[in-house]
Amino acid sequence: MNTLIVIDRAPYGSWAGREGLDMAFSLAAFDQPVSLLLTGAGVHWAKRDQDATAIGQKTVAKNLSAAGLFGVESLQVDATSCERFGLTKEQLIAGCTLVESSQATLKQFDRVVFAN
Amino acid sequence: MPDSTDTPKTLHILNKAPDHSRFALCLAAQADGDTLLLIEDAVIALLDQQISLPMGTHALQADAQARGVGSTAEKHVDYAGFVALTEEHTRIINW
Amino acid sequence: MNATPFPPRNNEGFLENPADWSPAVAQAIAQESDIELTEKHWEIIEFLRDFYKAHEVAPPSNRLFVKAVKETLGDARGDSIYLMTLFPGTPAKTACRIAGLPRPTNCL
Repeated sequence: MNTLIVIDRAPYGSWAGREGLDMAFSLAAFDQPVSLLLTGAGVHWAKRDQDATAIGQKTVAKNLSAAGLFGVESLQVDATSCERFGLTKEQLIAGCTLVESSQATLKQFDRVVFAN
Repeated sequence: MPDSTDTPKTLHILNKAPDHSRFALCLAAQADGDTLLLIEDAVIALLDQQISLPMGTHALQADAQARGVGSTAEKHVDYAGFVALTEEHTRIINW
Repeated sequence: MNATPFPPRNNEGFLENPADWSPAVAQAIAQESDIELTEKHWEIIEFLRDFYKAHEVAPPSNRLFVKAVKETLGDARGDSIYLMTLFPGTPAKTACRIAGLPRPTNCL
């Protein structure tokens, strides 16, 4: 069973995305195939040059960049959402794959879970 | 991975109120033969005059009851029915 | 007063601030668990220090600790028996404590 965790909320303001990341890491820990999709405001998770020190949080892009080491199979980022926020592939952390259609990506997985 | 010529039916589990951006996305993603199950805040959509839900939309009884959303033409399911729906579908999206 | 006062730690012996860590602190923490630090230990400690610097998080669970070691240092090191021999108990917890990382969040 193939699971996709979708993060479509901006980072830092709520726990939604972090919970999604925890879920992805937990599935990976038990060798369950899992991928992540960042879409909408969620694409900000993957931006380089973030520093959350001043707001007393951990920098989400750094947390996210552990996904590959833990066995998360892919980190997909919605291209249209990136365009909306003026983000180019070079401004994203290593290991991101841009996808043209989030809707099409959803169809490739048996289980899709949006991070609240 | 599902074959495109024989796409398996999807169970869409939606727990967002109609004004949440994901509500519209979920409705737009409904394909022929899919099942929509409203739970938690999503059940108030049953009363929303501005929303047209797909035929045969299900709602979780306990959540509808909690919010005073009476029985309408839609199919109400209890928790056992919820579990049965997840068993009947090979693909599930938790919106 | 001690010449090098021990940095503040939580009730489980983890450093409150990972930046307070030094090799001497590692030695002292390891000693509490009767662990004599060898080259093999230092290799894993160094891995964890680098990991924390890059990801601002400790490997959340033991399984993910083993996976991350495997991915970075290879199959021989990324082996739960190997790591348990070096860091008895729950290897992720023991190793993170010695390396000055926060407590792994999902390690019960």
